[in-house]
Amino acid sequence: MEWEPKILAFCCNWCSYAAADAAGLERRQMPPTVRIIRVMCSGRIDPAWILMGFLEGADAVLVTGCHIDDCHYVDANYKTKNRYRFLKEMIEELGLEPERLRLEWISASEGSIFAEMIRDVTEKIKVLGPSPLKPEGVK
Amino acid sequence: MACYIAWATDDEIRKKGTSGGFVTAALVSALENDLIDAALVVKRIDVYEGIPILTSDPEEVKSCAGSFHAVPVNLTKYVDPDLRIGMPAKPCDARGVIEQAKRLQIDLDKVFLIGLNCSGTMLPLAMRNMIEVLCQLDPDSVIKEEIIAEKLILKTKNGEKAIKIDEIEEKGYGRRQSCRYCNINIPFMADLACGNWGVPKGKKGTFVEIFTEKGETFFRNAVDSGAIAFEEAEEKSIFTRKRIDEAMKKLAEENWKKLSNSLDGIDRLSYYIKSFENCIGCRSCKIVCPVCACGEDAKCVSMDYETDSYRISMFNLVRLLHLMDSCIGCGQCEDVCPVDIPLTFIHRRFAKRIQDILDYVPGVNLEKPPFYETKLMEW
Repeated sequence: MEWEPKILAFCCNWCSYAAADAAGLERRQMPPTVRIIRVMCSGRIDPAWILMGFLEGADAVLVTGCHIDDCHYVDANYKTKNRYRFLKEMIEELGLEPERLRLEWISASEGSIFAEMIRDVTEKIKVLGPSPLKPEGVK
Repeated sequence: MACYIAWATDDEIRKKGTSGGFVTAALVSALENDLIDAALVVKRIDVYEGIPILTSDPEEVKSCAGSFHAVPVNLTKYVDPDLRIGMPAKPCDARGVIEQAKRLQIDLDKVFLIGLNCSGTMLPLAMRNMIEVLCQLDPDSVIKEEIIAEKLILKTKNGEKAIKIDEIEEKGYGRRQSCRYCNINIPFMADLACGNWGVPKGKKGTFVEIFTEKGETFFRNAVDSGAIAFEEAEEKSIFTRKRIDEAMKKLAEENWKKLSNSLDGIDRLSYYIKSFENCIGCRSCKIVCPVCACGEDAKCVSMDYETDSYRISMFNLVRLLHLMDSCIGCGQCEDVCPVDIPLTFIHRRFAKRIQDILDYVPGVNLEKPPFYETKLMEW
């Protein structure tokens, strides 16, 4: 059987989680590679969770949230943006491919964008192969 | 700001101090005049060993006069936040204290940072080896060491021996790795900076530059009580000091490039995995870290489990992330690591990236670390 990547997606309750829902309702095609964790806001995502995701065996981690200035909690996605920049530098310095971490702003109505993103990431990770941070014994 | 050449009026202190005994004399007079409650100084055991002590006894402060180059301890975590403290501070001590002040652990108004120019410290064991191999002396016979004019001077009972610092470094002994690429030699973030750079030849005095009002108070107190005498620094002295500083900075940059380039072209991830593989999880690096103020329930500790089978432990990764904006490169973590992981180098590799991009130097003022700022920048 062909190797399937495991992708971890953090989705904001108010937008990107709804977008994932919308993608399903609209019957958008996307590969079943993504595991979604719903959080109330992308600003709630601790950078350490993303690192933990990689250590537990995720091949890519997606951080999704509301568009800047559309945040349900006023300015929390600015914090996400801030943390993402740090993490991106860290992932690069660690020697992981930068494609493995991605930040995307997706609003509740953008189901097509959500599906497109999952397809795109899956394709890219298939080319890159399994993450070198994957623990032994995890596929 | 104001630059002076100052020295202790007490002959004994002046003789014992490395360059005029200004720091000791000023600390003693501050203690006597109730400007500070206690002084945080390093008590001498021998040339290779010293213990940081918090004392309000002027006699004990006097006994600590003189420089130490083989005791690379960082004093930050010994500061008692309840007391008014005067402390001699290398640039990394001063930066550590300022970082702790940012995290509300220390009240900067209560701490007098008497900066000391620093061109680097040595590990006691490396120093002993160096003395034995390069100088052919018995390490235990050395009673005093000094660095004057880029030479290390070792005094024994039978006389003294001088050796050029360059020569020591060429042969692989010498300063700690973190000191070799540290580019802050004059503690401009402290209240005043003292050192022997720029002092005219043959004169036993300390070059003092005052940066803050607190520094001015401290200096005036010592002058008014007659503990020190001073004169204005000449143009030439200021120039010499600046030239030495610039030369050291350039050397540090070259050293960093050389060291950092050693990771070029190799698989960085396997290098990091291999480096951290030996970690026994003793947490020593976290305990000594002068910028860490998280306490026992820190995230790096509470998210880490011994049963994890991760490629790199959560402890190390979280610490790497948390220090990206605040690592000052003091080298304490590497010194205490029981399995000799090149921690300071790795932390600097990660931190330098983001600190260069944001143009943020930790520990020089009370500006908050970027990680805590929310709307601070458009990326």
